Amino acid sequence: MRDRLFITTMLLPAVVLLVLFYGYPIFDNLRISFTDLSLLGMKKGGNWVGLANYRELLHRGDFSHILFNTLIWLTATSVLLRLLIGLGIAVLLNTRALKTLRLASVARFALLVPWATPPIVAVVIWRFLLERNGFVNDALMGLNIISQPIAFLADMRTVWPSIVTIMLWNTVPLIALSLLSNLQTVPEEYYEAAELDGATNWQMFRFVTLPFLMPAILVLGLMSVFWSFNNFVYVWLATGAGPGTFTNVLATEVYLKAFVDFRLGYSSAIGMVMAVVMGAFGILYLRLVAHRQLEETL
Amino acid sequence: MTATAPSRHWRDPGGWQFVLAVVLTIVTLFVLVYPAIYVLVGSFRPGGGLLSTAETFTIRNYVRIFQAGFGRFILNSVVICVAATVVSTVLSVMAAYVFSRFEFRAKRTLFTGILFGQVFPWIVLINPLFVAFAAMHLINSYVGMILTYTAFTIPFSVYMLVGYLVTVPKSLDEAAIIDGASRWQVIWLIICPVMLPGFVATATYAFLLSWTEYLFALAFLTQTDLKTLPLGLYQFFGDDYVDWGAVMAASVVTTLPVFLLFLPIQGWISPGRIAGAVK
Repeated sequence: MRDRLFITTMLLPAVVLLVLFYGYPIFDNLRISFTDLSLLGMKKGGNWVGLANYRELLHRGDFSHILFNTLIWLTATSVLLRLLIGLGIAVLLNTRALKTLRLASVARFALLVPWATPPIVAVVIWRFLLERNGFVNDALMGLNIISQPIAFLADMRTVWPSIVTIMLWNTVPLIALSLLSNLQTVPEEYYEAAELDGATNWQMFRFVTLPFLMPAILVLGLMSVFWSFNNFVYVWLATGAGPGTFTNVLATEVYLKAFVDFRLGYSSAIGMVMAVVMGAFGILYLRLVAHRQLEETL
Repeated sequence: MTATAPSRHWRDPGGWQFVLAVVLTIVTLFVLVYPAIYVLVGSFRPGGGLLSTAETFTIRNYVRIFQAGFGRFILNSVVICVAATVVSTVLSVMAAYVFSRFEFRAKRTLFTGILFGQVFPWIVLINPLFVAFAAMHLINSYVGMILTYTAFTIPFSVYMLVGYLVTVPKSLDEAAIIDGASRWQVIWLIICPVMLPGFVATATYAFLLSWTEYLFALAFLTQTDLKTLPLGLYQFFGDDYVDWGAVMAASVVTTLPVFLLFLPIQGWISPGRIAGAVK
């Protein structure tokens, strides 16, 4: 009985705070999404409008564009490239040649630099490098690849690849370091056995390394979906959803509709769409990650 | 020399493969590190280095940002983030201790719920929290931001701390309790000293998450004298003119504490565990 009182007292503050900041708001967001609440008229409150916000969202021409940006560019492209490049770097740093040259430990340290750089600063760095008279344009013109400087973040052809580059620079190191630590646990005998069977380099990678890393890749990929789909800062700080609204994504649309157009109701409806999509991934998270974390930790 | 007879082991390349691996590594190193160095160097040059002047070294960028009130943003960030880190760490240690030591009915459900906090779409909370904060006068307030960042960091901190605490044998607690110590004394006098590096690493990471948080600060802090560092950094981006010298100096000031705090703790924060905590 004394234990029970102790358990409750110890857990209560954290749990109450989490319920207030995660539990209550998600329900209130649902309620707001059924109203026409305005940021300028919060005192008088909003009127109940039923599903009007959701109907508007479906009939707006720009919503499918925003959805496409979010799913294809912000999420799918960045997640796939992040995993591919991260895997590439991990495999590269695990080669014995580099270990003998002591390059691997230097490279590990180098990975810490972008990883420790806060996203808000990573965007600053790349906005500077991608300036009209910045480093990237200078380098490309010096190599005669382009003849005119490109306004990378203002040109529709280059803006998304540029945003994805910023995201990758900032987040690939975490993936690479994770996979590298997994790679170092692959038993040496697996490779020796494969070599005896006459496996080629590619076959060893395909049938020994990759299956061994697969669980880690899946988990990192899934987590990566969460970080990317919900991410606000990369797009907002790199382009402000521009040029125009060309790079608008769900997260920036939630902010724009609420704090620029003052339409809290409509903005909350978009938020609910995001919550539903993430809820679907949440089930995967529960199965793949949370379940494992629970077993490992408790 | 193995270079003349390339090994068939893919992890042990010889000859041209060796050269390729080294070249690729050097290119990778360059792409990873050069951008950060470029900005560090640029922060000491007029106009960030984009201006063609003879002057190669100046601290004027730094002087200018502090004249423009950057000190105030630093102060705001320090107050908010230190307070949030302390509250969050204390509450997380309390919860994590219980999770690591006791069996109770709702344990798995509660812990799963806390794990979910790590992947929660925070952007969805902005509107309802803004409405609630406005009603409680917590917009443009230290208290509002401290509470927000406390809630923001608890899921990660609890998860990390439980991981450390389960490695401390329960027999340690039990022996002390038989000797007449209370649970509080056990936590304070036995667990804390043993797990101090883990606690410090967790608290430091929680601090860094708050230090660089942008979205909530943007929505909840509109008054200039209350703004935090990330907002202050972006105020140097004008609508049609960017003061690159100031932006870079401000970036260095924002990032320096992050590097100084992150390097000593990164051994404690394995990438695998942290995968859940990156927003």
